[in-house]
Amino acid sequence: MEAYIVAISIGILIYMLMALGLSLHFGFTGLVNFGHVGFFAIGSYASALLSLQGVPIVLSMLIATAITALAAYPLGIIALRLGSDYLAIVTLGFSESVRMILQKEEWLTRGMHGLPGIPRFFDGWVPSNQIDFWIMITLLIVNALMFWLILRVVRSPFGRVIEAIRDNEVAVRALGKDPAQFKTRSLMLGAALAGLAGSFQAHYLTFLSPEQFVPLITFYIWIAVFIGGVNRLSGVAVGTIILVGFLEGSRFVKDFFGGISEVQMASVRIWVIGMALILIVLYRPQGIFGSKTAKRGV
Amino acid sequence: MDAVAIINAAINGIVIGTLMALPVLAITMVFGIARFPNAAAGDYMTLGAYTAIAVQTFLSSSLVLGVLAACLVTALVSVFFYLWVFRTLESRSNISRLIASIGVAFVVRNTITFFAGQDQYNLDVPLVRAWNFDGIRILPTDLYIMAIAIGALALVFYVLHGTPLGRRMRAVADNPDLAAVSGIRSRRVMLYLWVLCGVFCGLGGVLLGIKAVVVPELGFELLMPMFAAVILGGIGNPLGAVIGTLLFSVSQEIASLYVGPAYKIVMAFLVLLLVLLFRPQGIFGRVMAAR
Repeated sequence: MEAYIVAISIGILIYMLMALGLSLHFGFTGLVNFGHVGFFAIGSYASALLSLQGVPIVLSMLIATAITALAAYPLGIIALRLGSDYLAIVTLGFSESVRMILQKEEWLTRGMHGLPGIPRFFDGWVPSNQIDFWIMITLLIVNALMFWLILRVVRSPFGRVIEAIRDNEVAVRALGKDPAQFKTRSLMLGAALAGLAGSFQAHYLTFLSPEQFVPLITFYIWIAVFIGGVNRLSGVAVGTIILVGFLEGSRFVKDFFGGISEVQMASVRIWVIGMALILIVLYRPQGIFGSKTAKRGV
Repeated sequence: MDAVAIINAAINGIVIGTLMALPVLAITMVFGIARFPNAAAGDYMTLGAYTAIAVQTFLSSSLVLGVLAACLVTALVSVFFYLWVFRTLESRSNISRLIASIGVAFVVRNTITFFAGQDQYNLDVPLVRAWNFDGIRILPTDLYIMAIAIGALALVFYVLHGTPLGRRMRAVADNPDLAAVSGIRSRRVMLYLWVLCGVFCGLGGVLLGIKAVVVPELGFELLMPMFAAVILGGIGNPLGAVIGTLLFSVSQEIASLYVGPAYKIVMAFLVLLLVLLFRPQGIFGRVMAAR
């Protein structure tokens, strides 16, 4: 039971880092990023491949995070001059392209066979039955640090500019600020968070395969951000906990209804996610825990 | 690579391009008139293909009946989601409709997988031998597929340019406010638009199902190439959509000979980027302000 709670907490904390990045993108800057999982994938594979080459884990995670931020840069240059619906298409295409490349470039990623034997975090430092616990503690600390960092960012002059871009880009331009530059930085910072989350995923699971990075994950994170309220950082935490609670809880629901197979249950789970997207956009665009008076929504 | 292989790939590209022109046309018209990229279009195609399979499994082996049922079912589903979701979101940002359409895509696909599972299916079509001209192969089935697709496209172009309904549609696409002051009831136009979207996606799905195995990701995997074709042809430009899809499909099939079919999505993405960077209005499009 304890091991189960630790495993779920790790899942929540990894998603929370991603959700924090998406909240910065969408909630604060108004960037419609439909390819968040692409950054997650780059972070995990980069960190895994580096550490397999013998780079120390912590260092490879840092490099992977930086690589992810850099990968977001050209995307920013290209896409941020476009309207928001174009950005959505471009980012979705980006994440699908990343997944296809991971699938096909077998010399690098072993393709569909997956990448096994990635060095585990804390391996040899603590007794092997305590590794997960310490990964959880590390993730908690990293999450706390990142929340603090993002809080500082959104309350800084930079944060005021990106929120202004979200609300009225023309006005920002009229004030002499270049929105593209701010958007690119926001995109890179949020992508770095997803990359960091990915590097944790790699050294926690020790096995990666391209199927872990389907677009569905992006929309899980969207749901988490929506549930918590689109521009509330505390909402990111609440939203992620509720999301993972639902995804995990639905495993137990199966035991109450006889005659539903595992495959059908997976369909039900994703069906509910889709329905939640529709219902939230229709009835609670500011997010379930977003403030009702907030002007912002979709 | 020898010439015969390239010609065969080009022929295959023309067939696939013609049938894919149907859903791409639906997407470009929804983009032009309802003003958002409809991410559910791919899964409407999947729905069409699965409906035809359900008809063949439970009702009769007639492919014609399957095609008709597919068009009907997807049209109903498309209108249902218009009335429930997209009509309500008309006054909101295009992002809200885009996100909702992702939700619709998941709901449609997982309703299918709940009943049909993750297995592969095949549509029953009469097996025929390909005509062989010195290695250049032409399948009679492909000719039927092209005939149906071209017929459907011709019908839409007639409706768009030869009937009052088409004139109203083009007017709403061009300038919704001006259309409204001119006394055009946009609700009616929207309803026809979503019927057309459903029928064309459903028909495209079945025709594709004849050429490929039917899997739950059939349509969603095509979403990127379809968006790329829409943008290549210029958003809201029906003729551009058809020509864009053909160009795209032929070059994709030929390029697949060299880099392998798995890179279709990556190629679509690159084309999308190039068009957006250098010619955002598409090859035939008019300049859209503020894009």
